[in-house]
Amino acid sequence: MNDKNTWEFGTRQVVYGAIGAALYGVFSWATNIFPLPAAGNVTFRPAVAVLIFFGVAYGPWVGLLAGFIGNTLGDALSGWGFYWNWSLGNGLMGMLPGLAMAAIIDFKARSDIFKGVTWGTIGIAVGILFASLTEMFVGGIDLNTALLGYFVPAFLGNFVVTVILLPVLMIAFAAVASRRGR
Amino acid sequence: MSSIPIAVQDLSFQYRTRPEPAIVDVSFELRPGELLLIAGSSGCGKTTLARCINGLIPRSYRGERNGRVLLYGKDVAEMKIPEMAQVVGTLLQDPERQIVASNVFNEVAFGPENLGLPREQILQRVDQAMNRLNIAYLKERETFNLSGGEKQKVALAGLLAMNPSILLLDEPLASLDPASAYEALGVFRSLADEGKTILLIEHRVEDALEAKPDRMLYMEDGKVKYLDQIRDLPVEIDHTQVKLPAPWVVQRVKALSHEKSSILRRADAEKGELLVVFEEVDFQYSEDTPLVLKNVNLSIHRGDLIAVLGPNGAGKSTLVKHAIGLLKPTRGRVLIEGEDTRKMSIAQIACVVGYVFQSPTHMLYAPTVREELEFGPRNLEFKPEVMHASVAESLRSVNLIGLEDYPPLGLSFGQQKRTTIAAVLAMRSKIMIMDEPTAGQDFANYTRFMDALCKPSNGTHSLLTARFASTIFITHDLDLAVTYSNRVLLFGDRHVVADGKPEQVLKDTEQLLRYRVRPTSLLYMNLELLPATGRFLPAEVLAEYIR
Amino acid sequence: MLVTWKYRPRNTIVQRMDPRTRLIFMVCIIFALTIPEIWDYRIILPLFLISLTLYLLARIEWKDVRRVWLYISILVFFIVGLNGLLSGRGGPSSVTNIPSPVLFEVPIKIPYTEIGWDVPITVSKTWFALNQMTRMLCMAILAIPIPYTMDPNIYGTAFKRMGASDNVSFTMDLAFRFLPTFARDFSITLDAQRARGYEIDKLRGGLFARIRRLAPLIIPVVMQSTVTGEEVIDAMDLRAFGTAPRTWLKDLKYAPRDYVLLGLGVLIFIACCVLKWVFGIGGYFVPEFFTKFLVG
Ligand SMILES: Nc1ncnc2c1ncn2[C@@H]1O[C@H](COP(=O)(O)OP(=O)(O)OP(=O)(O)O)[C@@H](O)[C@H]1O
Ligand SMILES: Nc1ncnc2c1ncn2[C@@H]1O[C@H](COP(=O)(O)OP(=O)(O)OP(=O)(O)O)[C@@H](O)[C@H]1O
Ligand SMILES: [Mg+2]
Ligand SMILES: [Mg+2]
Repeated sequence: MNDKNTWEFGTRQVVYGAIGAALYGVFSWATNIFPLPAAGNVTFRPAVAVLIFFGVAYGPWVGLLAGFIGNTLGDALSGWGFYWNWSLGNGLMGMLPGLAMAAIIDFKARSDIFKGVTWGTIGIAVGILFASLTEMFVGGIDLNTALLGYFVPAFLGNFVVTVILLPVLMIAFAAVASRRGR
Repeated sequence: MSSIPIAVQDLSFQYRTRPEPAIVDVSFELRPGELLLIAGSSGCGKTTLARCINGLIPRSYRGERNGRVLLYGKDVAEMKIPEMAQVVGTLLQDPERQIVASNVFNEVAFGPENLGLPREQILQRVDQAMNRLNIAYLKERETFNLSGGEKQKVALAGLLAMNPSILLLDEPLASLDPASAYEALGVFRSLADEGKTILLIEHRVEDALEAKPDRMLYMEDGKVKYLDQIRDLPVEIDHTQVKLPAPWVVQRVKALSHEKSSILRRADAEKGELLVVFEEVDFQYSEDTPLVLKNVNLSIHRGDLIAVLGPNGAGKSTLVKHAIGLLKPTRGRVLIEGEDTRKMSIAQIACVVGYVFQSPTHMLYAPTVREELEFGPRNLEFKPEVMHASVAESLRSVNLIGLEDYPPLGLSFGQQKRTTIAAVLAMRSKIMIMDEPTAGQDFANYTRFMDALCKPSNGTHSLLTARFASTIFITHDLDLAVTYSNRVLLFGDRHVVADGKPEQVLKDTEQLLRYRVRPTSLLYMNLELLPATGRFLPAEVLAEYIR
Repeated sequence: MLVTWKYRPRNTIVQRMDPRTRLIFMVCIIFALTIPEIWDYRIILPLFLISLTLYLLARIEWKDVRRVWLYISILVFFIVGLNGLLSGRGGPSSVTNIPSPVLFEVPIKIPYTEIGWDVPITVSKTWFALNQMTRMLCMAILAIPIPYTMDPNIYGTAFKRMGASDNVSFTMDLAFRFLPTFARDFSITLDAQRARGYEIDKLRGGLFARIRRLAPLIIPVVMQSTVTGEEVIDAMDLRAFGTAPRTWLKDLKYAPRDYVLLGLGVLIFIACCVLKWVFGIGGYFVPEFFTKFLVG
């Protein structure tokens, strides 16, 4: 749709929020099974690129729901428990890139991909920062640990994954969308 | 309020993103309790027509709409959604995508819940709908684990719970095995007898006739070509576009008689060298689930063109996945060219056996068709020259020239399917395995493509026989086995029930029925003419044997 | 590959509780410890025991949670515990401010440089690390049982009954519906690509190349899902979703035991606030017996 309304919240947002959440949950859980490249204490969660993609493609509500619910589901599937602050952080991670939705017209144009990646990076930074900082209250760690132990490795890992995979997803989406204009 | 359930008046529609209209000047009226069959090839506008009737057009899809659709005298465009939803119930092609709840009870209750009805009334409606379709026993089940037929009944119950008086069924048979499709058609008929007005969209006319439609509407390029009683032979209907009963095809071919189809000369299976051997294979997915394969023995030779038939969930896909080493037997061995699959890597096996999955969307990912085709050869570490040569060759053989730089995800379904086949061709494996190569495609499309693959061109070899030592395809379409195979495997009860030439295996129609494969008119006709023909032939060719 | 929930019905008191009760109770405990900043072992220890009791009452089989515990232990000991021990920060400033005997010193050196210093480990830091770990475990063991003991089908309803909108709650329900579908799509795609010679455990090349090699797995599943979405939207619109306030058939009712636990949770929260802010109890200090125990 060309006349995109960033803050609309109807059936469409419910459906893609749910689909994004299910995918994010499944991919997060699947990366627990498959060995993935890791460097130092940076862990990679390729699922993050999918989450950012849903934000960019379908807007902030979809990103928020996909991140919040998806993380909750992924944790539940793996059996970690329920950590509201990380779920909220993931929600923010999907929501902020959603602000770019209205500005993105052509998913395979270089400039629009750049917008997506930029907003994705902002989303990751804010989302992870939120989760790391709240961990200071919940987990009672200090700022240093929050930044060096949680924020930096998680941010780096997610950033790398997004820079590599988000453009690929956007280009593929441009092709799919060309076939199914609604 | 008028008593005419549906009146379509001079309806045209053009999607905003399309240069040409999807439907043009369609008009018809239905009586209460009438069952109308809508047929036509892919893209002729059947779904668009359905969307105009259920109000998705103009609500969700934008474009230019002319003419009117009246439901009981009221214009669709002016009705509110809750009101619409209680008048028209729409069953989409793939029930998997229509089911929105994770358990059956909630799925059936979904519509009434949305209407905000009181609890007691919802419970009562749910019970009623489920009892009507005899699926009360499914109430507690997870929707994910249902079989295709059960899913479809649950989706239908979800519609009936809204008490609609009109039902729109858009290719409801696509994901069902023939026996389940037959049952579903019986249900549609009985709903019509109870007074519901039904539009049944289906391009497999032969199958849909089981529902005894009152009239048939045949569309071509968005226009109505035929709208009348079902007669024996409506000449307006093109047998290459939709699947007609064999006798109709024969009559039509005789009537037209200008086109003489080339006689299919299938290479007979003279047993060549052994390629794949199953030795007493047992398999189960996990320790606490039952065996899916039990004591399977099977050998595949050079020259085999095998059709695998059998009911849903029998284990056909499981069986062929052993031949490509995706699954390893729990007991027994699978040998590929004499070597145990347990000792081979996936890449090694992929050099010998190519596998085309049912849905192209499960494997297409690359930004261009060319890269998609290069994926396999690259994984197998082909040399660049070899790779380029084999990619170019497979592009040519499935007729994708000119589309090399297109994104596969932007192609039409038929083109995507060909891309996946080309992607496997490019790997130059010896054996080709296809899992339901025709599922989800329309008749015209899949015959074209099966012809391209299996029909001998310039006299001697088909693409498959020229390129592959052996081919296996799984199918629910008995006619494909009749027309294209030289060996049929009937799989059921966890083992191979029958194995042999099509003429031998398929003559036991009782056994077929026991394994939920319904004999078709083409099979009956072939069996009848077998003494004269000596082998199974497509209907067009059979015409020559009938006076 | 099929997704399986960790949840299994068990006949335990914890599972009979209303899911809302358990979530709210967890929030109460987290707030009770964090908002008034409780660091007093005399409060932390009883709370820990309450959490532990609830955890044990849930009767989760050890083999199910083994991996989780391993992970949590690493986190608690190495990130939280060691950090507390070495830096003493993250809690109240008094940990490092109050004079405390030094037990021993740990030399720390930044790798590849000559920079390094000795970190003194004091009694106070040791006590703090212990406190810190207990405090964190106290919250974690309330969170861990949730996936094992809460029926996933009830999440959406629980959201709804805690005041979320129809749309948000239904998103939750719908996500559950699609989870197994996409897990299956994922495994089909994995098979399809493996049949083309793709081997995930043999990803080659550098870091970037290896992440790029995940595209053949991720793209088909995601793109398939975007197409599925359009049809699901149609299916839901056609059944009048979102046109009126929904009736939610599934319902949740608080039983007396829920009120007891809820009451307890709220009480704990209020008590902690009052103790800290009115009576000044609950701050950080090193009990004498501990100093004696370590220093003699
Ligand atoms: N959402 C859409 N946006 C743009 N064009 C569309 C859309 N849906 C269908 N079309 C186009 O409208 C035409 C008619 O399509 P329609 O789906 O009605 O055909 P159909 O008869 O239902 O085909 P099939 O048997 O493949 O389902 C086609 O050319 C199709 O590409
Ligand atoms: N990954 C899996 N894990 C566990 N069970 C499975 C798995 N895949 C299939 N099954 C089960 O194995 C049985 C055989 O399945 P299979 O897919 O081989 O059947 P099929 O004959 O191909 O059916 P269809 O005609 O519907 O494709 C079914 O009961 C199915 O539920
Ligand atoms: Mg259609
Ligand atoms: Mg199968």
